[in-house]
Amino acid sequence: MDNSRRTFLNQAAASLGLLYLSGLTPGILAQAHEHAKTAPRNLDGQPFRFFTPQQGADYGAFASQIFPTDETPGAKEANVVHFVDFALSEIEPQNKQDFAKALVALHEQAKKTNPGAKSFAALTPAERIETMKAFEKSGDFGMLKFYTATGFFGDPSDGGNKDEIGWNLIGFEDHFYYAPPFGWYDAQLLKEKA
Amino acid sequence: MSAEPQQRRYKLIDEVDFLIIGCGASGSVLARELSRNGFSVVALEQGPWLDRKQFTHDEYRVQAQSLLTNNTQKQPMTFRKTPADKPVKQPALLYGRMVGGGTVHFTANYWRFHEIDFIEASKKGSIPGTGFADWPITYADLEPYYTKAEWDLGVSGMAGVSPFDPPRSKPYPLPPMPVKSSGVLFEQAARKLGYHPFPAPVAVISQAYQGRMACAHCGFCQGFGCEMGAKSSPLPSMVPQAVATGRCEIRPHSYVRKIELDAKGRAIGAVYFDQHGKENLQRAKAVIVSSNGAETPRLLLMSKSNRFPEGLANSSGLVGKYLMFNTDTIVQGTFEHPLNEYKSIEVTRIMHDFYEIDPKLGFYGGGGFSARFLWTPISFAMGGVPPTAPQWGSDYKKYLAKNFNRTMMIMGHGTSLPVADNSITLDATLKDAWGLPALCVTYKDHPDDLKTGRFFNARALEILEAAGAQERWEFPVEETTMGYHLLGTCRMGNDPKSSVIDADHRTHDVANLFLCDGSSFVTSGRGQPTETIQTLAFRASDRITALAKKGAI
Repeated sequence: MDNSRRTFLNQAAASLGLLYLSGLTPGILAQAHEHAKTAPRNLDGQPFRFFTPQQGADYGAFASQIFPTDETPGAKEANVVHFVDFALSEIEPQNKQDFAKALVALHEQAKKTNPGAKSFAALTPAERIETMKAFEKSGDFGMLKFYTATGFFGDPSDGGNKDEIGWNLIGFEDHFYYAPPFGWYDAQLLKEKA
Repeated sequence: MSAEPQQRRYKLIDEVDFLIIGCGASGSVLARELSRNGFSVVALEQGPWLDRKQFTHDEYRVQAQSLLTNNTQKQPMTFRKTPADKPVKQPALLYGRMVGGGTVHFTANYWRFHEIDFIEASKKGSIPGTGFADWPITYADLEPYYTKAEWDLGVSGMAGVSPFDPPRSKPYPLPPMPVKSSGVLFEQAARKLGYHPFPAPVAVISQAYQGRMACAHCGFCQGFGCEMGAKSSPLPSMVPQAVATGRCEIRPHSYVRKIELDAKGRAIGAVYFDQHGKENLQRAKAVIVSSNGAETPRLLLMSKSNRFPEGLANSSGLVGKYLMFNTDTIVQGTFEHPLNEYKSIEVTRIMHDFYEIDPKLGFYGGGGFSARFLWTPISFAMGGVPPTAPQWGSDYKKYLAKNFNRTMMIMGHGTSLPVADNSITLDATLKDAWGLPALCVTYKDHPDDLKTGRFFNARALEILEAAGAQERWEFPVEETTMGYHLLGTCRMGNDPKSSVIDADHRTHDVANLFLCDGSSFVTSGRGQPTETIQTLAFRASDRITALAKKGAI
């Protein structure tokens, strides 16, 4: 085995490039892209179908604690609340009840952490953070966070991740074709062997 | 939603040569081989028949709507750790539910078993409290069929470079996929530690092959169907080739509830619900069940009769027993520069240095390691962040922004011991949407499996350290509550008292009933069962053809 040490990486470097492009069929690539990447769903200005105004406000305040608007856009700009309203109405109506229960739990936590509070949305920024800290180990938190992450990072065809705000934040591109090198370390290898 | 092409149609009263139940990893191979060998075949599949134009990168919808997998809304199941516990309704299994089965959405790791995987009990001795046993067939029996699977489906890899590899009669048909940053870091670090990493064999085509387009590196393998047709599931190969014989009909949306017997105890066909809920009986001269390691025993247990009060072909009492999931472990690390692991296939480097862990450590086990990524943006946000990092707020955003492209993982893939209590049974009360008894999964990892997992994580963390990871952490090794690899529940053997099928995949109890899928496994192998499941199907096709031609079915 010793004589083959390092050779896989050498060979990998030597075989990069055209070899791997030769098998691609532009027609299939284009077709795949067209089928898999449908147009973004525009939910701007749509009335809520699932949320009551209070639920929408509470959940919106929660989502903005997960992904605040700071130096970069957050849940608000990504249209997370409208995504969740759409998703629970159209895609997973079976989860409406659990989601509503999770919002009740958030409301209860807001009142428990801040006696006399009217709602999570009505809390001050500092009170919201204290409430989140008390809430973050619960299953209800997990459910609300899952939908928030989905609205922030999901496929824009479902109405969240508006303008690919989430993908831009983490450097994810949803292209249908990449050529090597893919990352810094394989690119470095290519340079060393060139 | 269906992609059914023009194909031969059979009537229910047509007594076809073979009725295949389940058109996944193994069933589609059997359908293609048997129809090519001149037999008439109907393959019933409970899921839809989709093609690559219907696949999507929408990670939320694929999961929320169970586009490729079993739907636990319609097919609820229960779980318990031991037979003494009360079963609790919860998802406990994930399996492919469509023409092509789990190989449509699998990661495409395509590892042969090694010689040792078939003869472990005689080499290592028995292990108390387990059904650890040799297979009735050896690696040498399967080698020609491993080669056939690799060449007929299309596998990329580099043969003969791992000192632990078993002998092979032919190299891989296609060169390995280009190495990713995770593969570079893993290979360099593992070599530094004296190990023998090598290019991962994968069921993805690195160059154009048999009229199919090479992989375009879109990065959506695990959990997704391949829009390019470059993943070598049966969908772009076995399925159209079976249909092209003019002797095979694939019938999607066909949910089988019972295999029927005649007065002599021979199978006459199967009763299934069609897409509209209508009950049909398809007649056949012989029945082959390839519905996976959970649904195959479930169907036998549902097919009770006066002759078989404990379930069809269950005179041994072993139908559903010895369920094995494979031990899977994960460690993760972050690096200074971007890896961009979301691009291309998940795994480009693996190693088998711990295929057999030194027994002096005091436990049985072994397996392989893969350098990889398995996250997509949503799943990374939910599961890819170490527990010590912030989980919400501006710092969470910053963590994700910095590390989505700087994270890789090393997974360990290993053995699970066959324990009789680990099983598939019928739940006593819960029913599915068709009114059939739900699956009840009983599973508690053997202590050696947990020790194997902890050993894997310790070695994998060392490799990440040698690779220069900035942060490293492990997913704790805990008892499994969710199975993806469904193995061992209708084990193969020569003795009808201690096995369900013989070495030809024929049930010991019913001469014209065969079982061929993950349920046939005697021991678990090392974490990547798909190639062996499909290889068994290629071999079974030859064995069953020979029996049929002799008039011995």
